[in-house]
Amino acid sequence: MRTVYALVLAVGLAALLADHLTSPSSGRAVSPEDFAGACAPCGAPCPSVQKK
Amino acid sequence: MSTTLIQGATAPASAIARSTDWPFLGAAVAITALLIALVILDGEPRSAALIIAGFGLGIVFLKSEFSFTASWRRFLVRGEAGGLLAALLLIAVAALVIVPMAAARQSYGGAIAPLGPSLVIGAFVFGIGMQLANGCGSGTLYTAGGGSGRMLIALLGFIIGCVVGSLQLPAFLALGGIDPILASDLLGPWGGLAATLASIAAAAVIVIAIARRRGAGIAPPRPLVVGAVAIGALAIAAFLAGGHPWSVTFGFTLWGAKAASLMGVDLSNAPFWQWPGPKHALGDSVLSDTSSLTNLGILLGAMAAAAAGKPFARASWPPLPSLAAAAIGGLLMGWGARLGFGCNIGAFVGGVASGSLHGWVWFAAALGGCAVGIRLRPLFGLSRD
Repeated sequence: MRTVYALVLAVGLAALLADHLTSPSSGRAVSPEDFAGACAPCGAPCPSVQKK
Repeated sequence: MSTTLIQGATAPASAIARSTDWPFLGAAVAITALLIALVILDGEPRSAALIIAGFGLGIVFLKSEFSFTASWRRFLVRGEAGGLLAALLLIAVAALVIVPMAAARQSYGGAIAPLGPSLVIGAFVFGIGMQLANGCGSGTLYTAGGGSGRMLIALLGFIIGCVVGSLQLPAFLALGGIDPILASDLLGPWGGLAATLASIAAAAVIVIAIARRRGAGIAPPRPLVVGAVAIGALAIAAFLAGGHPWSVTFGFTLWGAKAASLMGVDLSNAPFWQWPGPKHALGDSVLSDTSSLTNLGILLGAMAAAAAGKPFARASWPPLPSLAAAAIGGLLMGWGARLGFGCNIGAFVGGVASGSLHGWVWFAAALGGCAVGIRLRPLFGLSRD
């Protein structure tokens, strides 16, 4: 199990660093709720907006 | 010469040194420091605060063995109320800051979600999954981080389930629903807080009444009370740093979508990933997403806490049926969390602590799902207790 953990840790860290270094970073960390029209933590729109 | 450690006695320094798993403790601390350095280089100290809050949550969860899943199961099977009451205490502590600040300060917001079939179905399925996996959103994170290979599999299932759920959520939202109902919108910041605390107190009274009728215990064990207050305080810290209540499962969804992109599966045209928030998250660095930051902190904090006390991940793998339950439970939780707008943290703790009605609806539906999940556990060789 330790070997699996060491592998997961190494692959996870490599993927995270690759993503961070190749993706734009807007500086301040945000949540989908921060965007206009978001009605849930995942950024889903409100039912009243969907009906329109 | 062998040294026998007697419980309650002070362990000699040499014994502590021998029981510390330095490679994994060192890795957890070094990776945390690296992540903090990366976000500081981006000029965002609040992101560093989210990682540190997560790290603290990982330690507290692991050390207090705070478990929503076991607490709910004990309540449903034996009527024991202690764990559930500790969870309500946690939410009450967080609500003291979240309700008034989310209502009064424009830069902060509560955890809200629409009320409708998607919420109820998602929470119910999540409840089934959490009993099969034997862990919920936070539980999966801290036990996987703490060295449980079984929960590592549950986490993988959780991530896959979240991605599948993200593709199906728009269709479920089309079934209908109503806009979020927030106590502070109706009663103002302090009236909203009073109503939220009153609803938590009412839930506690109902839970105590049920426990008494079943002749079961009521008082939460001391470590759970300490854990509840500490987790509530760290949830406030995450709220102050992130601007929204602490959440878990959007991070899993994002990790899965990014992994799918790496494998050549482009999700960017799916309706969910066209909504402004998810679209921005998919294109940006994973370290720009608040829930990913706290999730990583929890994983690493739990790893550090586990490795500091004993050799890390030395247990053997559980039987295959138990691993299957973890995988299926993880998938169900992921799918349910996406449809139900979060897990026990983002939807239940965050929702109720924000004074949003969806938090209580989520709780009722998830508790129903737990009752079904408990009945399914013996099929996988798991006890109903």
